[in-house]
Amino acid sequence: MTPIAMDTGALVRGLYCILPEMVVIGTAILVLLADLLLPEEGKKRLCHLSVAGVAAAILSALWLGPGKIEGFSGMIVHDGMGLFFTLTILAAALLTLMMATGYSEWEGTQKGEFYALILLSTSGMLFMAEGTDLMTVFLGLETLSIPIYCLVGFHRGRMRSLEGAMKYFLLGAFSSGFFLYGIALMYAAAGTTRIPVIASMMRDARLYGNPVFLAGIGLLLVGFAFKVSLVPFHMWTPDAYEGAPTLVTAFMGAAVKAAAFAALLRVVLLTFPAILPAMSGVLWVLAALTMTVGNFSALLQNNMKRMLAYSSIAHAGYILVGLTAGGVAGGQAVLFYVLVYAFMNLGAFGVIMLVAQREDDGYDIDNFAGIGFRYPVLGGLLSLFLVSLAGIPPTAGFVGKFYLFGAAVRSGYVGLAVLGVLNSAVSVYYYLRPVVSMYMAPAPEGIPVPRPPRSAFSFALCASAAAVLLLGVMPASALEFAERSVLSLLM
Amino acid sequence: MGFIDNHILSLMTFLPVLGAAAILCVPRGKDDVIRWIAAAASFLPLVLSVKLLYAFDRSVAGVNVAGQFQFVEHYSWIPSINVEYFLGADGISMPMLILTALLSFLAVIGSFGIEKKVKGYMALFLLLETGMMGVFASLDFFLFYVFWEVMLLPMYFLIGIWGGPRKEYAAIKFFLYTLAGSVLMLLVLLALYFNTTNPETGGHTFNLLHYMAQSTHNGWLKGFDVRILLFLGLFIGFAIKVPLFPFHTWLPDAHVEAPTAISVILAGVLLKMGTYGLMRISFPIFPDVTRWFAVPMAVIGVINIVYGALCAMAQSDLKKMVAYSSVSHMGFVMLGMAALTPTGMVGGAMQMFSHGLITAMLFFLVGVVYDRAHHRQIDGFGGLGAVVPVYTAFVSFAFFASLGLPGLSGFIAEQMVFLGSFDVFRTIVVIAALGIIFVAAFHLWALQRVFLGPLNPKYAALEEINAREVFCLAPLGIIVMYIGVWPMPVISLMNSSLVHLVDLVKAVI
Amino acid sequence: MTLDKFLVVAAALFCCGLYTVMTRRNAVAVLMGVELILNAANINFVAFSHFLSRVMGGQIFAVFVIVLAAAEAAVALAIFLRLFATTGTVEVDTADQLKG
Repeated sequence: MTPIAMDTGALVRGLYCILPEMVVIGTAILVLLADLLLPEEGKKRLCHLSVAGVAAAILSALWLGPGKIEGFSGMIVHDGMGLFFTLTILAAALLTLMMATGYSEWEGTQKGEFYALILLSTSGMLFMAEGTDLMTVFLGLETLSIPIYCLVGFHRGRMRSLEGAMKYFLLGAFSSGFFLYGIALMYAAAGTTRIPVIASMMRDARLYGNPVFLAGIGLLLVGFAFKVSLVPFHMWTPDAYEGAPTLVTAFMGAAVKAAAFAALLRVVLLTFPAILPAMSGVLWVLAALTMTVGNFSALLQNNMKRMLAYSSIAHAGYILVGLTAGGVAGGQAVLFYVLVYAFMNLGAFGVIMLVAQREDDGYDIDNFAGIGFRYPVLGGLLSLFLVSLAGIPPTAGFVGKFYLFGAAVRSGYVGLAVLGVLNSAVSVYYYLRPVVSMYMAPAPEGIPVPRPPRSAFSFALCASAAAVLLLGVMPASALEFAERSVLSLLM
Repeated sequence: MGFIDNHILSLMTFLPVLGAAAILCVPRGKDDVIRWIAAAASFLPLVLSVKLLYAFDRSVAGVNVAGQFQFVEHYSWIPSINVEYFLGADGISMPMLILTALLSFLAVIGSFGIEKKVKGYMALFLLLETGMMGVFASLDFFLFYVFWEVMLLPMYFLIGIWGGPRKEYAAIKFFLYTLAGSVLMLLVLLALYFNTTNPETGGHTFNLLHYMAQSTHNGWLKGFDVRILLFLGLFIGFAIKVPLFPFHTWLPDAHVEAPTAISVILAGVLLKMGTYGLMRISFPIFPDVTRWFAVPMAVIGVINIVYGALCAMAQSDLKKMVAYSSVSHMGFVMLGMAALTPTGMVGGAMQMFSHGLITAMLFFLVGVVYDRAHHRQIDGFGGLGAVVPVYTAFVSFAFFASLGLPGLSGFIAEQMVFLGSFDVFRTIVVIAALGIIFVAAFHLWALQRVFLGPLNPKYAALEEINAREVFCLAPLGIIVMYIGVWPMPVISLMNSSLVHLVDLVKAVI
Repeated sequence: MTLDKFLVVAAALFCCGLYTVMTRRNAVAVLMGVELILNAANINFVAFSHFLSRVMGGQIFAVFVIVLAAAEAAVALAIFLRLFATTGTVEVDTADQLKG
């Protein structure tokens, strides 16, 4: 055993590297403290405080820049890809918290712990996205999951909320077990959990031929598959999405998925090229199944939240197409799509939140009948987000999908690309159903009156819409950023 | 004026969408303001198209020669995958650009009668116009595809919201058919992209001209089987739009349910996109496969002519009859193109232009009677000739133009198609010529049932056609007559390009 | 004691945990199964670290995992308690409002 000397310089550098995480965690603690001090009517200040904290975290991430900074003896690295995902996750968190200004008032989540949980979960995501050690990734994963379990069950009186939380927890914890056991096996085979070290050892046939290592990678993949809800490990998704408070659902779809894909991307891009023939087959099947099952199940849904849950499964499948393709092109496509998906998903849920009055049955698609003309702005926004989810130009969803399928064709997975394109054609049908309902169904007598959005809420919606359009028409700079990020990882 | 001259195609494409944005800012309740903004936003492209017509140099071909395209605008759009913002016009696109500008303006005027949700209607319509212009102006496949898809949603809403009783069904059917075509196009797009490189930069490209230059001697595209597959993928994508038999079933539903002005655009412009796509993309990129597939295309064309005419004859709904007559007329375009002779090709392109004008008149006219009588059953009228003579005159004119009366534009086009294709496929052309009998038959029969015979007393007080409607119809009628008598201006507009296209298809080994 | 004995114990523990999760319908029992799986991984970490590696990484990970397992259990029991208060049971099968 070598004695470990206290190295102040290394510690400072490590802390510097996790500056955004620290800002977020600090804000969470501040929110909890402020919750004790603030009077009941001042609780909305908590939300403002959280928004300010996340904004500060974004600034600090930008300040760190895209250069590579290693911290905690290589357990965490702030590199280009880390920055990209950090910004994506923080942007999602920021939009979520802005929407929370209104949502909390209506649904009674105006509580310190609600915001603190969101912030803590965000910090877990950031750790996951920047972790270069499987252990850091695991810790990040748990730090993000545990608050999310609570958030899903936050409406303590609602049976569905509790049920969703229970199902999510049981399957989530189960998958964490797989994940951890997989890490343990990989540790056994490789003697380390550092992802880049494992990657450099992959050239050694003794390692990738080792059954213990392969079993480890398999279990790890299952763990990831649960988290990003790939078929056949997706059963929890619709239940958790439907049960959770809608704001949390939106947050889960946008941010949790981004974090999980960040870690998966790191593992896959670095370690898989050596064992590609075997693994690409597995990924191919997973992607094909996920897209197809997700889309076809979504066709049958009448509840908006549930439909979007299945759609999020399908989108995980699309993203997996990019992962299967691998390489710079595939990685770039995945990064860009995760970013785009965060905006369109949050936007869609945001509008739905305003229109649906009640949790549970308020989210039926029929409930949206006649909204389109009565409330043209809301109708237009929801249509825009759904059109983007369906991948129709000139929205960002189209460019994203084009990159994903283009990467697949480039790597020779023509069949997968064809399957993806057909799937996205199928998906148009269910994305248009709410639109049909909004604009073409006869408006019933008691058309629901959407809640008057708070200004922050409106701003979040408009920002998402602007992002969806801008990234669709002028995607060049975001794409370049994504490409540089992937290159920084592979270098 | 330098800016306008340098960006004339961009202006034609994006002025309408600017108008749409302006309309969205107009406060609720000012419907007239909205209407006039829409009229202005679609009138400006028309003015520009006239300017375009005068500035256009008719002697150069374009098609696959980069230096010969006119009004070119060429910028980088998404550099990382080499998507270019590349607009340009040649003899293939010129008539279509003019037709689009003209019909869009008239359709906006024709839509002044719409009372329901004017704001949404006009905004979507202008967005649609941008999509149409963009399709005809773009020379980059990615850009083409984006504009192609941009048209899809406005059309879907325009049918689905402002349509007739079965609008949802018609709209979704239109949407799913077109989407299926787009999906095929997207796949071909990807395949072409990854097998072609820009010789200057070495990167992959979406530039159509590079495809034309390289597709026959590059990568796995060299294999004839692969080329057939790609060609057929594109062909089906375009055939759905034309629509060619057996992909035509969305058309009657969409036309019947769509509001009048949208039917005009649908039949007058959107159908042409299919055949335009074949001319602009399929034929020059896959010349060898085009030759191989010429006979099947001709056969499909003839099936369209005869089958469309027979279906039209069987209709009791006037609008449905006109819709099927479009199926029949687009068959002529296909036949002329399949012949791969200069005369046939020009005839086909001429038919595209002429049918755009004639069918627009027909749909306007059907709309006129529907607005007054609120039904379109052919047998529900009778003897209208005595009540509304001006209207009857217009209908007769349009019907005769549609059935190919000499002296009107349809005749010229159809004759050129026959002349051009007779030497190539004799039997097929003879069958097609017989099909003309049916075409004539259903027109005359319908004319007789609606306007002649004893007067149906229900319509003794039918209102005569009004000034606004005449304003929409008269220009079309004048152009139809003008071309019928003196077709050279239109022919010379597209002649060099189409002759070059035929040479290109025929010459490449 | 050799390494493979630890591995066998860990694998057996993992399988027990898996079996519990798969077969038991009581949420608390499922939670216990998950804990078994986590602890199987812990045994692996400590054993590998002790026998193969010169650095204490594995032991440290085990400590992390124990802390996480405790946090997880706390959250889980809170959810289950609310569920029990609402429905009077924590059987997984009785929670069936969400489907489709």
